[in-house]
Amino acid sequence: MLRFIARRLALAIITLLLLSLIVFAISNVLPQDVGRSILGPFASQETVDAMNHKLGTDQPKLDQYLHLLKQIVTFDFGDSFQTGQPVSDLIKTTLQNSAKLAILALVITVPLGIFAGTLAALRRDTIVDRVIVMFGLAGSSLPEFVTSTFLVVLLGTQLHLLPPLANWPPGSNIFEQIHYLLLPALALVLVYFGYIARMARAGMIVALESDYTRTAMMKGISRGTVIRRHVLRNALLPTIAVVATSTGYLFGGLLAVELIFNINGLGRLLVTAAKAKDLPVLQAGVLVIGIIYMFATLIADILISWLNPRIRLGSEG
Amino acid sequence: MTDYRKFDPIRRKAAPLQLDLIEAYAQGRLTRRDFVRRGTVLGLSLTTLASVVAACGGSTSSNSNSAQTGVGGGGVSGGSSIKQGGTLRIASIAPANPLDPVAMIDLASYAIVAQQYEFLTYSLGDLRLTPGIAESWEPNDDGSVWTFKIRDGVMWQDGSPFSTDDVVATFERMVAAGNSGLKGVIESGSVTSPDPSTVVFTLTGPNGNLPYLVSSDNPQTVITPKAFAAGSLIDKSPNGTGPWKMTSYDAKTGASFVRNDAWWGGKTKLDSVNWTFFQDLQPQVVALQSGETDAIVEFSVLGGEGLLSDPNVHVIRLKSAAHKQIWMRVDKGQFTDKLVRQAVGYSIDRQAIVQSLFKGNADVGNDSPFAPVYPYTDTSVTQRELDIEKAKSLLSQAGVDKLTATLHAVKLQEAPDLAVLVKNSAAQAGINLNVSVEDTTTFYGKSWCPAEPADPPCSGAAEIGIVDYGHRGTPDVYLNASLSPNGAWNSAQYNSDEYAQLFKNFQAAVGVDAQKTAAKAIEELLLEDSPTLFPYFFNYLSAHTKKFAGIEVTAIGHMFLGKAGQVA
Repeated sequence: MLRFIARRLALAIITLLLLSLIVFAISNVLPQDVGRSILGPFASQETVDAMNHKLGTDQPKLDQYLHLLKQIVTFDFGDSFQTGQPVSDLIKTTLQNSAKLAILALVITVPLGIFAGTLAALRRDTIVDRVIVMFGLAGSSLPEFVTSTFLVVLLGTQLHLLPPLANWPPGSNIFEQIHYLLLPALALVLVYFGYIARMARAGMIVALESDYTRTAMMKGISRGTVIRRHVLRNALLPTIAVVATSTGYLFGGLLAVELIFNINGLGRLLVTAAKAKDLPVLQAGVLVIGIIYMFATLIADILISWLNPRIRLGSEG
Repeated sequence: MTDYRKFDPIRRKAAPLQLDLIEAYAQGRLTRRDFVRRGTVLGLSLTTLASVVAACGGSTSSNSNSAQTGVGGGGVSGGSSIKQGGTLRIASIAPANPLDPVAMIDLASYAIVAQQYEFLTYSLGDLRLTPGIAESWEPNDDGSVWTFKIRDGVMWQDGSPFSTDDVVATFERMVAAGNSGLKGVIESGSVTSPDPSTVVFTLTGPNGNLPYLVSSDNPQTVITPKAFAAGSLIDKSPNGTGPWKMTSYDAKTGASFVRNDAWWGGKTKLDSVNWTFFQDLQPQVVALQSGETDAIVEFSVLGGEGLLSDPNVHVIRLKSAAHKQIWMRVDKGQFTDKLVRQAVGYSIDRQAIVQSLFKGNADVGNDSPFAPVYPYTDTSVTQRELDIEKAKSLLSQAGVDKLTATLHAVKLQEAPDLAVLVKNSAAQAGINLNVSVEDTTTFYGKSWCPAEPADPPCSGAAEIGIVDYGHRGTPDVYLNASLSPNGAWNSAQYNSDEYAQLFKNFQAAVGVDAQKTAAKAIEELLLEDSPTLFPYFFNYLSAHTKKFAGIEVTAIGHMFLGKAGQVA
């Protein structure tokens, strides 16, 4: 297992290098005049040129890329072009906020989705199955901004059950913060519940119909034990893969949710950075999301290989 | 009926320019509103203004329910009073750039900076000027030298004493930075301090609007300490002379302020103010309506329409000069013939635009930057109206059978919607405009005023486009930058000697009659030449819950809270 993890980590470093190249290429595809973006349309060209020189955006591309690599190694991305704040501070704050929301959403959605998917598979073609499938389908087919707006209006401004915005007062403890994050988390639960439930249901159905399940049943093992020890172990593999790939998105791709609930998260930070040509923030943010993706898939791979050792042995062989 | 017994002593004490204004009002050539507005610019005290109005048989108070002009505030309604204590929670768009008072360019930064730092003068309701750090001011006979008296008791929040050297140094920084409002008006060494309570502005030429140019209408002119270095960020070492002390600032999430007990204006009603920053309008509206915040600095009709009819919300409407310009290249392309440009002007339904985009919260424009908000705008100039037949006839006279062009519009506020409305109405006259909505970088950098070719400025501009301009207390910037030969933002490439002379006349005009005469000549010339169309001037909208009162806002994003508080 350790060898397996070491190999995956080595691959992750290569992926990170490739990612840095892609990030640099993409950020340089954006229409380039960082100085103009900062100083506005009415600033003189001389002032804009001086600003570009100060920021280093007038340097050759190779020099700029080498500078980026140095920043990645030292994890010092300098200051934001837009706000003047240290990039590491901006990333840290927004990552914390995104992580709180993502973790809360995952903590609610994953067990709920797996439970519902398992239940639907065990009660296949009954009313329970249909309700779970239909509800999940309806939730995941609606865009996040629709469910978010609906929840804000219904639970936030009409019924006043939950705070409509995720702006908790300074000094709030973790429980108060969760209270403010419940509504956006609920919006994500609505979207991801169906996705996870359907994956769990499909995995369960395949596992329930497999030969090893039939064999276990025929050996006289109780249904509950078969499901716990044999079926779930195999049925959850695709669900784990789906959760892993969703994790990166939950950390950095929730622009609509972050805008509607005014969450100072990573997705919002990246979009404002892209708009303002704030390259240090943009590059650092994308790299951080890339790292989260890599770690999430690494953890998923480890989990999958633990649940199904054939995968690990196959990759080592 | 004028009471000459009261009137004559005031006339005898007045300076020549002030006398000119008083006579104009006494003879009925100025409305009371315009008189008060203009009188504050020329340094007439409110007592003197009230005495003149009373001597002429009027009152300075107004019970108008229409939009306030320029700057104004939500007064305490229904005779209610303001109680001591409490915190005001404000929703605002996040500042786009670091809090550098010299170089800031966005409205959110203006608002935050002005909580701590103050102006010599403040441009308040009806474009009236009110004292700030300067307690009074007056021009010389021709308006080329202005003398400001600085009030006693002003202190920096870090405890250091305030002096006129701070004022002089601030304006030296403005000159060095090329401040757009003061460019060509003052130069290095123009601002001096002959004694510890006086600051003198010796201008490069007569200018009747200087007090506006050193007021909140020119947001970068906040007075900063003598030692302040251009490029410094105020959140790094908060200071100022204003009513609020910054306790925290995060460019992404918000800012907090507490009362400055040493403020010369006395003890504020509120204990503290918390600003929450947003990226979009919609969550701000939700925040206000759900009680998460108490005020919203600015909103537009598109997206904030619900606030206009919310019974719990007090909406402040300010008439302003903010507008969109539709420029047409006069030097090359398909719009070089003024008849074609006039045809585009006659194909625009301004009333319909004002209704559909602003639900009436805008003034119809007459294709010059002289907005109705300015006292010297001559409204007797014939209003250009929708006239499709006339547009067709003008095109025919110009020998144009078919005209197809790309209308470039910045993706900002209502500009894309305006572009579609212009396209649809122009099509009725046979003018085919393809709309190209562009992000700000592409639009400003490539369509509106590309850096190259640099001489003359904007000579690489597209042949037709829509650009945004914010509110100004005087139209000088619009007249100079966007219409003058070699103007920095002259995307139409309008180059008229006659216009240049008329603009000079306007700048040199100090008396109210002279200003109105000069304005009328420019209005008529621009209507004839039509290099740039001005379809409307939209109101600035701000809102707060009815639990608070005394909040004053300006049409360029300020929210002044020195008198604000909770309704008792």
